[in-house]
Amino acid sequence: MEALKISPGFEKVMPQEYLELVEDGPYGRGLGVKDLGTFKELIEVHPLCAGCALGLSIRLILASLPNPENTVIVGTTGCNAILMPQVAIHNIHCLFGNQSAVATGLKRALRLRYPNTHKDVVVMAGDGGVVDIGLAPTMHSWFRREQFTTIMLDNEGYSNTGGQESGMTRQGVVVNMAPLGKKFPKVPLHEVAKVAGCAYVATATPARARRLGQMVRRAILVAREIGPAYVQIFCPCSTNYKFPPAESLKRAKETEITEYMVPEAKEWIERIEKGPKAEEVSNEA
Amino acid sequence: MSTLIGLPKNGYRVVPGPEAYLSPSAAIMGVVLPEEGQGLIEGEIVPQEVAMEEIANRLLSARNPMLFPGPLVLWAWSDKAVAKAKALQDMVAEVPGMRIIPMPDYRPKYPMINPEVEINPNHPNLTIWHNNIDVCMFVGVHCHFANLALKIVRAGTDCYTIALCGERGHEDAMITLRDVHAEEVRKITETIKRVKMGRVSCQKEE
Amino acid sequence: MPERRVVSPEYMLFDAPREKKYLIGNEAVAEAAKRANVDMAIVYPITPQSEATHIIGDMYAQGYIRDYYRGEDEFNVMSAVAGAAMGGVRVFTATSGPGTLRAFEMFPVWAGHRLPIVCAFMTRGVNSPLSIQPDNIEIGWLADTGMLIFHAEDPQDFFDMTLQAYIIAEQPEVHLPVGVCVDGFFVTHTREIVELTPEDEMLPPYDPSVSPVVAMDMETVPVRHMKDPFVMKSNYISYNTHASWQQEVRAAAERARKHIYKYMGGPIEVTHPDAEIMFMTSGTAAAQARVAMERMRAEGIDVGLVKIKVIRPFPEKEIAELAEVPGIIIVPEHNITGWLAREIRSRVNNNSKIYSGPRVFGGMTMPPEVIVKETKKLLQAGVAV
Ligand SMILES: Cc1ncc(C[n+]2csc(CCOP(=O)(O)OP(=O)(O)O)c2C)c(N)n1
Ligand code: SF4
Repeated sequence: MEALKISPGFEKVMPQEYLELVEDGPYGRGLGVKDLGTFKELIEVHPLCAGCALGLSIRLILASLPNPENTVIVGTTGCNAILMPQVAIHNIHCLFGNQSAVATGLKRALRLRYPNTHKDVVVMAGDGGVVDIGLAPTMHSWFRREQFTTIMLDNEGYSNTGGQESGMTRQGVVVNMAPLGKKFPKVPLHEVAKVAGCAYVATATPARARRLGQMVRRAILVAREIGPAYVQIFCPCSTNYKFPPAESLKRAKETEITEYMVPEAKEWIERIEKGPKAEEVSNEA
Repeated sequence: MSTLIGLPKNGYRVVPGPEAYLSPSAAIMGVVLPEEGQGLIEGEIVPQEVAMEEIANRLLSARNPMLFPGPLVLWAWSDKAVAKAKALQDMVAEVPGMRIIPMPDYRPKYPMINPEVEINPNHPNLTIWHNNIDVCMFVGVHCHFANLALKIVRAGTDCYTIALCGERGHEDAMITLRDVHAEEVRKITETIKRVKMGRVSCQKEE
Repeated sequence: MPERRVVSPEYMLFDAPREKKYLIGNEAVAEAAKRANVDMAIVYPITPQSEATHIIGDMYAQGYIRDYYRGEDEFNVMSAVAGAAMGGVRVFTATSGPGTLRAFEMFPVWAGHRLPIVCAFMTRGVNSPLSIQPDNIEIGWLADTGMLIFHAEDPQDFFDMTLQAYIIAEQPEVHLPVGVCVDGFFVTHTREIVELTPEDEMLPPYDPSVSPVVAMDMETVPVRHMKDPFVMKSNYISYNTHASWQQEVRAAAERARKHIYKYMGGPIEVTHPDAEIMFMTSGTAAAQARVAMERMRAEGIDVGLVKIKVIRPFPEKEIAELAEVPGIIIVPEHNITGWLAREIRSRVNNNSKIYSGPRVFGGMTMPPEVIVKETKKLLQAGVAV
């Protein structure tokens, strides 16, 4: 928090949005989805399609970070990366599919440099980025029990490159590169995550905003203390699935919300959430 | 290594543009960064004081001088940053008409940049054109992005660029100094004051 | 682990006492990583590199290196060291041939991100067919990634160049990755006398606050920074940004030259600069060419040697100047493509005097007599000298 101050005198010239971020941003305040509308958000305008469920999910994720002042996001190529430059915390775009490997190095580096602070590393990537091209580093980060959170923005296909089939596309759906319909089922990565070593696994939807916020927050807190966390968010893509943007949220509801924790994670979450100041979890390691 | 090397043998000079469709980076053209105690004027290595004097002259002769402070001085992330920020503001106060437009980040900004309130390394020329800036000074911009912006400015505008670097300096600026911290900024301010005094007394004699 | 003290780079390279040890190249590079005060090593097995990173694993176990793990493959290892470097720590990794190719997408990314990663490339043949034997074809491919590329001749070079690599890579105006290359087996598995600096002396820690780009830690400086955003809106100025970015990476390599002179004594080593016949070569081919030179000089033939230590930034001025004197320049290499001859040919005025060869590859050795024979054959064929 020390670093989050403008040099005296330069307030006069800093663009308004920075003044608002410093005075009214979410840094160090323990805010959440329920507080949206009462503070300066980490993202406001972005160039994603109108009504994009993925854009909405990112907005909710950003509002749910327990300590945005100490969080670094690792993204990957895809629709999310078009939005990320506008996000008011440090974030990385390296290559398509290597996000969990980059996050592994980053998390370990930050642990060496800041042994007394939790620097939360959050991977946020499209379904193609996670389940296809990036499956090896995703799974291996879980096998190795790396302590960061992986969030998949599941729009059931490669949206950024024009709507091709991904491992998360449902069986039978006709999309680019699946001209006869996809020939195998949607990959149950949330189930795989449980056996691969995740201490927390959830499937969420932006249509249930507060629940999504709670899951993201829990995932990050579990990743700090217990082990890897995985959150899969269903973000239907109106552009490539060709439905009216206004229908995004209605469609986003059509998914199952699930939550899984290993016993230690459950115990830990209960301890913090029942504690006196549930919203203000210490950032000290 | 401390001898004055002079200009590159090919005669390349770092001068106001518009230089080219894609201007070369000065380092590739043979411009060498200064050693301790030195600066660069238009690609030529000179003693630090000479560069300071030229900075003062350029700023005081400008129609519309502008300071572009970057994140390294805009944020109070260290005591050194705060001290340098203070020294810079004192310097600006000594240059008649000098204004400040910050470079708070390096992202391609969406939906668009307002050149009245900020400058961006990806299209610095917009801010220069819009505000009719004839002399500008970069300070506290991370070196990679400073060089990027300085080269784009040289490619497309006739702005005279000055870069005060906390590290090793910037060949892509018309004048650059290295190892500039609060104390060196104060030295520049003193130089500005002295040059100003000289100009006033000259005018009196006329 | 003994108590260690930080010493300056200048002291370590120029003044520190040296102790003679009988080491293979893989041991020498590990000893360098130890003295370089590396924070983290991320590794993946491949012959002939693995032994070096086993030893570094032992150093981690002893406390010399603060974090270490075996990654899932070379692409992800190179990605993970990038993540660590972005987080502001000093990293080391190594690979060989097929591993280099598996990881290749990351090398221009390291340069574009301005990450001072040091990677040792213990070169070997690439498939197909599979070969674990020495062959440095990969150096030619690495040369255009934006990284600095050094080519070591022997275990001593490997030790020194690895230390020099960290010092040069982390100069604020350079801040680029360095590939320290050796010819696999010939260097990695050959035991020679290596003069080491004291084990209890190490380089100062890496300081991310002088980096030319923002460290990804939310405090050096805070708030809104992305590493690195797309710059691909369809307009002239976005293209210009990408172009300028690439130019700045090349400019940074150019700035390394001064430090290459200061810390490495220059990018080349010349013996008999006025000779009529000049061998220009790098790596172990330089060692073989030196023997060939001595034999021929004993016979009264005027032969000299230019050993090229730095492939990027290529010593173009030095080579162009040296190339003026001899009547013939012979470039022995351990690869089929003749990448070094290509480099030299494109930089000298009269390049018809450059003879690319002898070239051996796939693990074949290059006996000095082969160099001698080929040179004599050229002379007999009446190549102007
Ligand atoms: C190595 C590599 N292969 C392919 C691509 C092309 N590519 C860029 S984004 C993308 C699809 C992204 O899909 P997903 O991860 O599902 O994210 P979405 O755009 O749907 O949010 C692809 C295939 C690339 N950039 N790099
Ligand atoms: S293509 Fe789909 S996922 Fe991408 S921004 Fe548009 S609506 Fe969102």
